[in-house]
Amino acid sequence: MSAMWYYVFTLVFFLFDYFILAMGLNIQYGETGILNFAYIGFVAVGAYVTGATSLPNAAGTGQQYILGWGLPFPLNLLLGGLAACLLAVFVALIALRRLRTDYLAVVLISVSLVLYDVINNYVPLFNGADGLYNVPEPFASVLKLTTNSFVPFFAALTGVVALLMWWVMSRITKSPLGRTLRAIRDDDGVAATLGKGVFRYQLTSMLIGSFYAGVGGGLIIQFGGSFNPTAWLPAETFVVFAVILVGGVGNNVGLLVGALLVETLLIHLPAFLPDIPGHPGLIEYIDTIVVGVLLMVMLWFRPQGVVPERVRRSPFSLATRSSKTLDDRAIIVPTNDGESTPVIQQETANG
Amino acid sequence: MPALLAENVTAGYGRTPIINDISLTVEKGTVTTIIGPNGAGKSTFAKTVVGILRPTTGRIMVGDLDITRMPGHQIPRHGLVYVPQNDNVFKNLTVRENLEVGGFAAQGNTDARMEEILSVFTDLNKAREKRAGYLSGGQQNLLAIARALMVDPSVIVLDEPTAGLSPAYTDVVWNQVERIAATGTGVLVVEQNVERALKHAHFVHIFVAGSNHVHGLASEIASLDLAAIFLGRAEANRS
Ligand SMILES: Nc1ncnc2c1ncn2[C@@H]1O[C@H](COP(=O)(O)OP(=O)(O)OP(=O)(O)O)[C@@H](O)[C@H]1O
Ligand SMILES: [Mg+2]
Repeated sequence: MSAMWYYVFTLVFFLFDYFILAMGLNIQYGETGILNFAYIGFVAVGAYVTGATSLPNAAGTGQQYILGWGLPFPLNLLLGGLAACLLAVFVALIALRRLRTDYLAVVLISVSLVLYDVINNYVPLFNGADGLYNVPEPFASVLKLTTNSFVPFFAALTGVVALLMWWVMSRITKSPLGRTLRAIRDDDGVAATLGKGVFRYQLTSMLIGSFYAGVGGGLIIQFGGSFNPTAWLPAETFVVFAVILVGGVGNNVGLLVGALLVETLLIHLPAFLPDIPGHPGLIEYIDTIVVGVLLMVMLWFRPQGVVPERVRRSPFSLATRSSKTLDDRAIIVPTNDGESTPVIQQETANG
Repeated sequence: MPALLAENVTAGYGRTPIINDISLTVEKGTVTTIIGPNGAGKSTFAKTVVGILRPTTGRIMVGDLDITRMPGHQIPRHGLVYVPQNDNVFKNLTVRENLEVGGFAAQGNTDARMEEILSVFTDLNKAREKRAGYLSGGQQNLLAIARALMVDPSVIVLDEPTAGLSPAYTDVVWNQVERIAATGTGVLVVEQNVERALKHAHFVHIFVAGSNHVHGLASEIASLDLAAIFLGRAEANRS
C-alpha cells in the first residue's frame, strides 16, 4: 500500500476517533452544561488502562506499568472506558457536587494538571514520561495483518465503533434522560424545583461522557501502539472543545463535521505537509494559531456551529394538535384526593 | 387539614435570619397572597417553603406530610410545586419539552395531563413546538405555571408571576391562578401589586422586614392603612 493511503487512513482514524471524543464532551458540555476542562485527562486514563491491560506483565518488557494482564481487544478497551468512568466518579464527588460552572471549570483544569504531573513523574504507574509502547495491535496476528494493512483495518474498525457509539448516543439524547440533561443545562435551579436530583443527572452525564473519552483514548493507543504525556498536554482538551464548538454544540452530526474540520483538516493534515524550510515544527504552531482564530471567528459569527442544535419536535405533535379542537366543554382535573372535580372551563378568548 | 402549613419558620442565607418566626397556612382551593415592600423576605419565604432554603426553626407540612428536612428535589412528587420569580423556563427546550420535564415527578399518564393543560393554556398550545426562549415574557410565566401543574399539585407556590407583564396579560395569568385554585389546589402567590393581591386572593399576608404580623381575609386587609404598614409605622391586630 502506498504511503499516501497510509496517510489517508490515519486521517480517517482520527476523524472517527475525535467523533467519539466529541460525542463524549458534548453530552457533558453541550447537553448538560458541565465545562469539563479536564476532558483530555479522561482520554489519557482510557488510553493508559487500555494499553496496560493488553500489555503482558511488565517484568522483562523494559517498561514499568501496573496491570499487565495481556487482555485481548475489545475487553481492554472496555476497561479503558470504565477506568475513565472511575475517575469521573472521583472527580464528581470532590468537585461536581459542590461547584457550579466557572468554579467547576477551574477545579477541573487543576485536576487535569495534577493528573498530568502524577502520570508524567510517577514512573511505576504508566512508565512516566516515556509512556507505554509496544502495545499489541488488535487482531494483527489472527488476521495476519502487516504494519501497512493494520492501519486501514483499524481505521475501519474505529469507524464501526464510532457508528455504534453514535447510535447509542442519539438514543440517549432523544430519551427523557437527554431532555432532562438539557433542562439542567438551561437552568439547574429550576430543574431541581421540578423534582430532578440535579447531581445524579450530572453524574450520569459525566459517566457517559467519560466512557466515550476512555474508549476514544483506548483506540488511540491501540492504533499507534504507544501513548505518552506529549499526546495529552492539558491544552489538548481545547481541541475537543474546538471540535464541538465549530461543528455545533448539541448536534451529533455537527460533531462529525467538527471532527472533520478541526481534527482532520487542521490538526492532522498539516502534520503530513513538508516542513517550512529552516523552521522545523513551525507548522504545528501555526496550526494552534489557526485553530484559535477559527474558534474566535466561529464564536463571533456563528456561535451555534456549522450544524446547529435542532429543536426536538415530537413526531406526534401534529396529530395530537389537530385532534384537540377548541370546543368549550369543561375538563375534569383530578385532585390529589382522588376525587374528580369539574372545574377548569375551556378557554374561548385569547389566553 | 390545610394544603400547606408553615409553622414558626425562621430562615435566611448563612447566619443572619431574613425571615423570622413566620406562620402561614394555605387552605385547599384558596388563593393566599403575600405582599410587602422589596426585600421584606417574600421570595426567601417561598424558597424556604419549597425546600431550596433550609429553615433554622419551625416546620413545613404538605397535607399531613412533614417536608421540613426533605431534599428540595423530592418535594414536587409530594404535591408541592414552585414557580420561581425570574428565568423560570428552559429557554432552549420547546414548550412541549418544558411540560414533559415538569411531568417528571408526576404519576400516571403525563401525555393526557399535558393535553389537558394545553387545552386550557391556549397560547401555549399554539406554540407547543416553539423554543420557550422565543415566547413573550408573559407566555414564559404561563409556561412555568403550566409546567408546575404537570404533577397535579396539591399546593403551588408562585413568586411574582405577573411581574413585568402588561395589564391584559396580568389578567390572563390571574385568571389561570383562580382556575387552579378552583380545582382544589392551594395557591400561594407572592405579588407586588397590592390591588391585584387583594382583588384575587382569599387571604393576604403582609411581610415587613421578615415578619408577617399582619394577615387576614382580603376584605379585612383592604380596609387597613397599607402604606403605613409597609413603612413599618403601624401594627395592626392579628386576625
Ligand atoms: N441569595 C441571597 N443571599 C444573601 N442574601 C439574600 C439572597 N437573596 C436575597 N437576600 C436578601 O434577603 C432579603 C430578602 O430578600 P427577598 O428576595 O426574600 O425579598 P423579597 O421580599 O422577595 O423582595 P422583592 O419584592 O424585591 O422580590 C434581602 O435583604 C436580600 O438582600
Ligand atoms: Mg422577591
